[in-house]
Amino acid sequence: MRCAGPAIECRAVTRRFGARTALHALDLDVEAGEIVGLLGPNGSGKTTTLRILATLLRPDSGTARILSWDVAAEPMQVRRLIGVMPERPSLYDRHPVEDNVRFWAEVHQVRDPGAAVARALEFAGVADRARDPAGSLSKGLKQRVALARAIVHRPPVLLLDEPSSGLDPSAAASMEGLIRDLAREGTTILLNTHRLAEAERLCDRVAILREGHLLQVGTPQQVRAALLGHIVEVEFAGLVDLPVRRAVESFPAVREVWWSPSAVRCRLSDAGRDTPELVARLVRAGAAIVAVRPAGDLERAYLELMSQPVPGSLAA
Amino acid sequence: MSNAAITSSPGVRALARKELRELRRHRMIVATAIVLPIAFLVLPVLNLLLYEPSRAIGGPDFAVGQAMFCFFLTPVIMPATMAAYGIIGERDQGTLEPLLTLPLSDRELLAGKVAAILLPTLGASFGIYALYMAVVALAVEPPVRSPALDWTWPFGLLLAAPLLALFSTLTGMFFSARSKDVRIAEHLSGLVLLPSMLPVLLIVTRTVEPSVLTWCVFAAAVAAIDAGLWRLVVRAFDRERAISTA
Repeated sequence: MRCAGPAIECRAVTRRFGARTALHALDLDVEAGEIVGLLGPNGSGKTTTLRILATLLRPDSGTARILSWDVAAEPMQVRRLIGVMPERPSLYDRHPVEDNVRFWAEVHQVRDPGAAVARALEFAGVADRARDPAGSLSKGLKQRVALARAIVHRPPVLLLDEPSSGLDPSAAASMEGLIRDLAREGTTILLNTHRLAEAERLCDRVAILREGHLLQVGTPQQVRAALLGHIVEVEFAGLVDLPVRRAVESFPAVREVWWSPSAVRCRLSDAGRDTPELVARLVRAGAAIVAVRPAGDLERAYLELMSQPVPGSLAA
Repeated sequence: MSNAAITSSPGVRALARKELRELRRHRMIVATAIVLPIAFLVLPVLNLLLYEPSRAIGGPDFAVGQAMFCFFLTPVIMPATMAAYGIIGERDQGTLEPLLTLPLSDRELLAGKVAAILLPTLGASFGIYALYMAVVALAVEPPVRSPALDWTWPFGLLLAAPLLALFSTLTGMFFSARSKDVRIAEHLSGLVLLPSMLPVLLIVTRTVEPSVLTWCVFAAAVAAIDAGLWRLVVRAFDRERAISTA
């Protein structure tokens, strides 16, 4: 294995399908051990990005690398280093669960396929269904088998296309836990998702795509801050009194302020830096603080971004 | 990687094993693989068992030639359905995309699939021919028995059947890689395969004498076509096209 740079590296990756450009000069790095979520509406280029990294599609221009191997020029090396979980579980339904996973282990020439299959099924929580035909499983269990299959050869990089798509909340939470465990073991994970709350909880960074353009990339907090401003919301136990108002309004870092009877929302110069000082001032003014939280979540930031014109498009 | 190295690659062997399991669980393919060889065994055996010189069209050689045509037809017809499913079947069940992310080159992927089709085809082809020989040796009347047991027939079958089966498999794989529908791939394969049986027909009807030389020339020609067809199939297999026609 060779890796001098990021685990996943996209440089000006462009892909066209006929007259339509699905991806416009995408630049994106994913560091080793990071979980990065690709967000965006349908047709934004998320799946195209994953397919290029999975060596299923070739970029028309630009380079994409996995652990320094070029996906277009050295696809076989890349395929040995990645585990791919497509949106649909895509299992051989007539085969037992363990045969599905064993086939992957054998093609990857895993040293002890039996042990590797058992370990992967155990990790995914489907060891008790090993002998059942894959077609007899629920969607959630199939997704777990697909994950077991993707990790049976312990790849350093995982590409997951909507891993919790179509799962009920508890199955989705369980899938989220499995992904987090893999990242804890050092696996680099790039995933597509439409579940923004999940992305906010799970991902170290998110990249928001629209019509093939990368619009934003950063931690969920950075994206929120960039799109919604540095707004924090403070909730009080009782009604806001005059000393509390003065404490807020006299704080130079407060750019804007919105009052409600028992809460205040402030736009700060830098939420990360200024929030502790704001809280300290409120406490000194005698405020009984119940909660301090960033105003708005990733979903609100995402919707804000989607309401803006795409750079480079006719509307921009 | 040479063709010999490809077939011994662990990935190819794993894929061939998976394919055999898949074929075994596919009802239509299992039905084809059982019914066709049985029909191609029963018809020639009955033809020879019920042979009566006074009512037969042509002599014993003609009757034996008719029987032999069935045995040469088996390795051509049997793989066609399985090969048509090769790529399209994976695509239809949604397994093609993850399969293409495995560390298998195009040639390894195709070799694994071809090997999994050839094994049952040749097993069935040689199996029914062995049964036929046993029945002929034990139960068929001497006037027909002698030409039926002529050693040039098993020689020709042993030499030509694997090459014909490979020809049929590669033709099916070619259309499977380029078509959107299994039935279209099957029909197109049929259009190519049936006319290609004309040389075999000429040999079994003794229009061309079935000698060792004849079989060797025929086998060399089919082997050359197979080699060209293999290169064509590898070139025709386009991963992007394969997943985008889903």
